[in-house]
Amino acid sequence: MSSHFPAIIIIAPLIAGFLISLSSLANRRFCFPIAVAGLGIAFYSSIGLIVSVFEKGVIQYRLGGWAPPMGIEYRIDYLNAFVLIMVSGVAFVNIFAVKKTAERDLPEKLGPFYSLYVLFTAGLLGITATGDAFNLYVLLEIAALTGYALIGIGSGQNSGRAAHSALNYIFMGTIGASFYLLGIGYLYIATGTLNMADLARVLPSLFGSNVIMAAFAICMTGLFMKMALFPMHGWLPNAYAYSSPAAASLIAPLTTKVMIYVMIRICLFVFTPAFSFEFINIKGAMVIVASVAIVAGSLFALSQKSLTKMLTYIIVAEVGYMVGGFWLGNKEGMTGSILHIANDAVMTLCLFLAAGIFAYKIKPRGEILIKDLGSMFSRMPVTMGAFVVAGLSIIGVPPACGFFSKWYLILGGIKAGQYWFCAALIFSSLVNVILFFRIFESAFFGSTCSNHEHGSAHETGHHNDHEAVIDEAPASMLVPLLVSTAMLIVLGFGTKFIVTQIIEKAISGMI
Amino acid sequence: MKKFAVILGLMIWGGLLIYIADDFPGWGDPQAPASVNLSPYYIEQSIPDTDVPNVVTSILADYRGFDTMFETAVIFTAGLACLFLLRSYSTKEPDVYLYRHTATGVILRIEKGGTIPVGSADFERIDATWVPHDLIIKTTCRLILPFVFIFALYVIAHGHHSPGGGFQGGVILGAATIIFAISYNLRTATRNITERFAAFFSAAGVLLYASTGVLCMFFGGNFLDYGALAPLFGTTIAGARSLGILIVEIGVGMSVMAVMSSIYYNISSNGRLNEGL
Repeated sequence: MSSHFPAIIIIAPLIAGFLISLSSLANRRFCFPIAVAGLGIAFYSSIGLIVSVFEKGVIQYRLGGWAPPMGIEYRIDYLNAFVLIMVSGVAFVNIFAVKKTAERDLPEKLGPFYSLYVLFTAGLLGITATGDAFNLYVLLEIAALTGYALIGIGSGQNSGRAAHSALNYIFMGTIGASFYLLGIGYLYIATGTLNMADLARVLPSLFGSNVIMAAFAICMTGLFMKMALFPMHGWLPNAYAYSSPAAASLIAPLTTKVMIYVMIRICLFVFTPAFSFEFINIKGAMVIVASVAIVAGSLFALSQKSLTKMLTYIIVAEVGYMVGGFWLGNKEGMTGSILHIANDAVMTLCLFLAAGIFAYKIKPRGEILIKDLGSMFSRMPVTMGAFVVAGLSIIGVPPACGFFSKWYLILGGIKAGQYWFCAALIFSSLVNVILFFRIFESAFFGSTCSNHEHGSAHETGHHNDHEAVIDEAPASMLVPLLVSTAMLIVLGFGTKFIVTQIIEKAISGMI
Repeated sequence: MKKFAVILGLMIWGGLLIYIADDFPGWGDPQAPASVNLSPYYIEQSIPDTDVPNVVTSILADYRGFDTMFETAVIFTAGLACLFLLRSYSTKEPDVYLYRHTATGVILRIEKGGTIPVGSADFERIDATWVPHDLIIKTTCRLILPFVFIFALYVIAHGHHSPGGGFQGGVILGAATIIFAISYNLRTATRNITERFAAFFSAAGVLLYASTGVLCMFFGGNFLDYGALAPLFGTTIAGARSLGILIVEIGVGMSVMAVMSSIYYNISSNGRLNEGL
């Protein structure tokens, strides 16, 4: 059983997706339990995988029983075991939170919704687990296609804009994926193999070839589009902001992070650091691009009136953190980058869950503006409390986890002599202070007037505006939010363990 | 100006690609890496390993069968995404019904509040966007469709020996459904191949693929290692692989056929499935 974990982690959600589709023909009530079961098995397997990695080191799994260069191989090491836990955990926790929203927004399409949800997760898990460059592309397609559908459905007043931004995302995403495929095609022409370990073995003798250079450039461009690195971020803010909160809280934490994982995997384990960091000299340029992304993302976030739009631009800035940290090319920077993959996923999950709850309670049919959150603390103390913790983590206040990854990133920046990157990180933290304290201030001290003007028409005027009336979201939404908030702190305190036991082993021998 | 910059950028990009192509191995070069690295293994071992003379099929459905399972899942997802985004369950009555008197070809236009000849054998409902009554097209399609279906089954079953397989056969089956829907109308097509039927088979086909893989795990092999099914089929390992390939090709065919029909139904009728080309 445990030797099959690398396959089970992918096929449990995959088969759950098909079963949901079948069972929705009989009774829609079966869909949710099947989705929970599929994601639960995936989450359990991801824990089993990291335990076996601790015990036995790298796990190889031959799909179809064929030896690696001939067949497809799943290869689990410290790096992707770590990311697998993050992906399956976020998807598993989030599904409980989105149940209410999905049932209200898409009552007739629950079957397809849950089916797409678990297939999206299966795609991302597969991208993370695979050791085959072409298999990665196929799974990228699954994750992208389900993502387009989940975003395109939208909700309420936003469904028209959601469809439009999903179309935009389809164009950009397809171009990005095609670039990746073209790059893999070039690699195959030059080497005749698709297995990542095999490529890493063959490539060093071919470093001088233009084909390899082009393959690298094209692959990376595709991945940068997919991960929304500034200035190729155009598709992201609208796609995430106008989609249904049920879809946003799944897609926003995971897609960009998994793409950053793919960049790390391709650079370190396919092209090898000797090529990515030494043979071609783009380290400095990439760090500058990342610094610009951080500054631009922060400034765009500052100019937003809508809460979800603001959060999406924070994602754009965070992508800059991780890309920049990786291309610093030293141990600290890379540690910060990998640590931030998990930390940022949990922070984004927490923020989007809170935004989803606000949308559910105060503005089911439209965009939540920042001013709608006035005096939210007295109305929804638990949700707002979690939002505050996540905001502090994004800013980088210890002991929340955001502080630690930022710490490593800044250390790496200083060690590499990239002071502009450090300056951008600090600038972005300061902007985040403004962004979040603006919200905290109105949530603590603001008046409720704007709520009554804009949202809750269903609330009759029994109580006057200054009276604190607690009106919290249902427990099924609050518990996942609290779990993710607790994870922020747990990850913060567990930083030492994660860094010494997982990340250092993941990148040992690479730097 | 913008246009000029775009054209210039594309020309530089194209020029770079052409320049890089200079470093490619020669066209059809037997010493090219792609020809010497893995291809000889597949060509030599396909029959001993899998009993399948068509190397493309053995690579597609066995050596790289995991990729193909996900390609099928991509097709399933495409169908599901169309359903998810387009299907509309609102039962809005059309303003105008058109009925054709079958014997004379006279068309009745029934506005709101009029009596609708439901259940009458003399009248048939036609789409509100008028479609001519074409005896030749309907008869031709009725005659060729059985042969199309037979050919599709042949293509699925014969993938082991000749170009073909689940994707190709499934597309032919799906195209047959679409021809049927075009030559008659959407309502006739959805009466014969219903939406539930399509939804069932699109999931069932790819589930058949995945559960074959899971079955291999119960027989002690890895996921999709059809060789482990040899005791079940009572054949050699290579024979079991060949049968495994056939089973998953059938699954692929089912899924592709059902998804093609489902996508056509949803797109042609704006997700209403009442009328449309």
